Amino acid sequence: MLRRSRINYQLEDKFDVILFFSAMFLVVIGLLAIYSSTVNHPTASGNFQKQVFWLCISLCLFFATYFANPRLLNYVPIPAYLITLLFLVAVLVIGRKVYGQRCWIDIGPFGFQPSEFSKVATVFLLSFFLSREKTDINTIKDIAIAMAIGLIPVGLILLEPDMGSALIFFSITLVMLFWKGLDIFGIFVVLSPGLVVFASMFGMGPFIAVLVLILLILFYFRKNLFLSASIFVMNLAAGFFFDAVYKVLSPHQKKLIETFVDPNSDPLGSGYNAIQVKVAIGSGGFLGKGFMHGNQTQLRFIPEQWTDFIFCVVGEEFGFIGTVITISLFLALFTRLLKIASFAKEKNEYHSLLVVGILSILFAHFAVNISMNVGLLPIIGIPLPYMSYGGSSLMVNLFMLGVAANIYKNRKQHA
Amino acid sequence: MTQSKNFGTDFRKNVLFYILTGFFIVLLSQLFRMQIIEHQTFDEKSANNSIKGIVQTPLRGAFYDRNCKVLVSNKPSYTVIITPYNYDHKLNNLLETVLGVEPGYIEDVLQENMIYSKYIPIRVQRDVSFPVISWIEENKEQLPGVNYMVEMERSYSDSIVASQMFGYTKEISPKQLKEGKDYYEMGDFVGNNGIEKTYEKFLRGTKGVKYVLVDSHRKENGRFNNGQNDRESIKGNDLVLSIDEDAQKAAERGFKGFKGALVAIEPQTGEILAFVSSPQYDLNNFTTVTPREVWKNLNTDPDKPLLNRTTMSAYPPGSTFKVLGAIAGLESGVITPQSIINCPGGFYFGRFFKCHGGAHGALNVEHAIEKSCNTFFYQLILRVGLDRWADYARRFGFGKKTGVDISEESRGILPSTEYYNKRYGPKGWTLGFVVSLGIGQGELSVTPMQLAQYVAMIANNGRTKRPHIVKGILDENKKIVPFHFDDIDAHVSQKTMDIVKHGMFLVVNGAGTAGNAKIPGINVAGKTGTAQNPHGKDHAWFMGFAPFENPKIAVAVLVENAGFGATWAAPIAKSVMTAYLNKTHKPVEQKEKNNEGKIVAASIKN
Repeated sequence: MLRRSRINYQLEDKFDVILFFSAMFLVVIGLLAIYSSTVNHPTASGNFQKQVFWLCISLCLFFATYFANPRLLNYVPIPAYLITLLFLVAVLVIGRKVYGQRCWIDIGPFGFQPSEFSKVATVFLLSFFLSREKTDINTIKDIAIAMAIGLIPVGLILLEPDMGSALIFFSITLVMLFWKGLDIFGIFVVLSPGLVVFASMFGMGPFIAVLVLILLILFYFRKNLFLSASIFVMNLAAGFFFDAVYKVLSPHQKKLIETFVDPNSDPLGSGYNAIQVKVAIGSGGFLGKGFMHGNQTQLRFIPEQWTDFIFCVVGEEFGFIGTVITISLFLALFTRLLKIASFAKEKNEYHSLLVVGILSILFAHFAVNISMNVGLLPIIGIPLPYMSYGGSSLMVNLFMLGVAANIYKNRKQHA
Repeated sequence: MTQSKNFGTDFRKNVLFYILTGFFIVLLSQLFRMQIIEHQTFDEKSANNSIKGIVQTPLRGAFYDRNCKVLVSNKPSYTVIITPYNYDHKLNNLLETVLGVEPGYIEDVLQENMIYSKYIPIRVQRDVSFPVISWIEENKEQLPGVNYMVEMERSYSDSIVASQMFGYTKEISPKQLKEGKDYYEMGDFVGNNGIEKTYEKFLRGTKGVKYVLVDSHRKENGRFNNGQNDRESIKGNDLVLSIDEDAQKAAERGFKGFKGALVAIEPQTGEILAFVSSPQYDLNNFTTVTPREVWKNLNTDPDKPLLNRTTMSAYPPGSTFKVLGAIAGLESGVITPQSIINCPGGFYFGRFFKCHGGAHGALNVEHAIEKSCNTFFYQLILRVGLDRWADYARRFGFGKKTGVDISEESRGILPSTEYYNKRYGPKGWTLGFVVSLGIGQGELSVTPMQLAQYVAMIANNGRTKRPHIVKGILDENKKIVPFHFDDIDAHVSQKTMDIVKHGMFLVVNGAGTAGNAKIPGINVAGKTGTAQNPHGKDHAWFMGFAPFENPKIAVAVLVENAGFGATWAAPIAKSVMTAYLNKTHKPVEQKEKNNEGKIVAASIKN
């Protein structure tokens, strides 16, 4: 499986060049797009410089992590998880509201989003828990514990409320359980509440249909009655839980869900961004309109384009060429991470799970963000890794890259 | 664990790998569809997208008088507009009949505006009457492309005109635009003169903006970002004027058929109660675009209605300046209140300077003012000396701008040694030049505004505040936020002022020249003057204040080409004083004060 013949050179043996440079290339594309969308903006014109500043700090963090003793990774999970939970509670109390979401904490002149950090901390703790000798992932008890680790932050984040991050946490937990070796019934148990919630967005009919389907699947697996009944109740509860969450959502977010269900319901309201983003990317054509020449971007049709809509700046100004290069770089990064996770699987399961967790965080962000940019998902506030403007996100992303690079460097050692 | 064995590492890795590549392929195809296949459609949509900011013009601040009566406000005016895009030219005849314009008018207007996009509405006629608007509203279905819009324009009180004081707004000039480009845009209206100009920054308000999406043809496609980026305009500040509507009305009525100017001031505060320059013009002609004919007529009118005579026309003050001579004489100590000068009917100084009405005999300063004796003041200015006299004149505001809040203002001429030296050379002039100045003739010239400030200072014993028309602005709670105005002090003694004021009391109430300024129940003091006019009939001056005991109003009047001051000027001043004081003064109280006044007057006479 390991093709050692490929790693010929000293540098490539110690440092994952593809991993690092695909990410750096994405950062550069991101910086260009940030520059283009903010340099003439009345309030955001300093964002390019700020992002360069954060990049310098993040690179230091990357190299510090890369050179660190891998044993240090063993001490991270529990403190990091607890500290980020603390911050998630703190943000509800002292957080700063942006667009109705209370997800920022200000420290001096800097604001940071605890939810960004808690994703990584959750990956650490999940990896730690799942890689223990006595954990049997195919027992309901351990599934429940793993789900609890993954979903406690979700509960707090939903109070902010931040739908997008909640979705990401769910994906991370699912992927890591899968990597650990969850069987098909376990996957069904973990996945079914999500299906129920998704169906309930479309009304009572689909909701009941999905519940019937779940009953049929439970019948098919022929597990004991108590287990089947409790799984069914859990699903029912998930449906009602979503209903309760829906009630606490801001009108703005309710609108988002409504327009996802029916995108043409309000073309100038919340459907507006969805349409304008698609127009920006589509009008880019094959070669794009040129750097600083996208009229959707320069005329600021899309609000805060340098954060969650950075991809459509690339699409408009660099065209199909630009978007294909971007998603190819992401694909290279992801397959590289998958490879590292596979390398590590035999020697150190903890490391392997960490890398898969990192992969799932990055991929979930990428998938949700690009999907909403190309109109495959409703507008959910999720940044694009390495490219969107934002210090917290860039730091966390390069830290994760550092962890993966560190694990690659030390892949031949036993834990 | 058995089931987990069935799903080996490779299997799980492959599942993830296929998810990654599968998603990659989905994205790739979606991007290919959007950016290559459907590129054309999106490109058109993008070209059709652009934001246009429509400026929301704020309402201009209103003017209130000192009693909070509305003087100038805004009123809606209807403008009929046509959008050529969906207008049917067959409607021309019908519309022309309804609007009452000559046939072919609409086609002409549309032709003139051919260069603009056919989606931009064209103004066809402004100030359209309400019945026409109702007709358009009722027949909208049959009138495609025809609409109307509401624009705001200045609305003036019917009771007063005050054209030179209020001023008007005018489309911004390129020069003004260059200076004020942070606020103004082409086509904006700015205050051109009067209060509209001085207080432009307060009156104009804050512009708002509404963003709409427009396509490449400038056709509106709805609001940008659901109107969240729009800003409401904020109305300009309302101004509270110190003008008293009744006094102003009386002044304007008094000037019917005369050219001239009047300023009435509250002596203690410098607040202007009435401000007239006659003839006036109709401000309603300036609310929108002024017709060319109106401009031409105003500019060629020999009576120069556009001239603000209150602050811009300067004439010799005539005998009104004798009071200043008296103050200079008494203050500098060259005469005492008892000093006597004999009037044999004239004064010989190089040549003979004539007095009027024969010989006045022996006079003290008080009676010299009463009788307006030339001989007395010819000699007095020689004793005081030119520069000392000019110094006192300067203290009372002559030879410089009063700083009233009307921007166009003349400083008049106040001769001094320096002035004559400059004009004629040190040897080119003689003391003979100075003698005429003693009776307010010669090269001396003053504006009605300056004379009003001067009489206000006399009335208030040498002190007042910078004259002003606007007291302050109204805040949101309709409370006045007052402006600050500097104190002015001539630094003269109370004794001197008592004497000259009493002299002026006698002008009206004794054997003086202005008996016709008397108001029953109120004691008036005053002084007439005549400005010699080499080009025609003399100009008449009158200045006065009332009540004598506790002056509430000081008035200066100039009537051009009217001859003797008392005949025409004094009655106008009287009617203004009456109009103003009647409201504040109870005649019953007045009678007692009247008696008191006479007693005081008698005692000083002795």
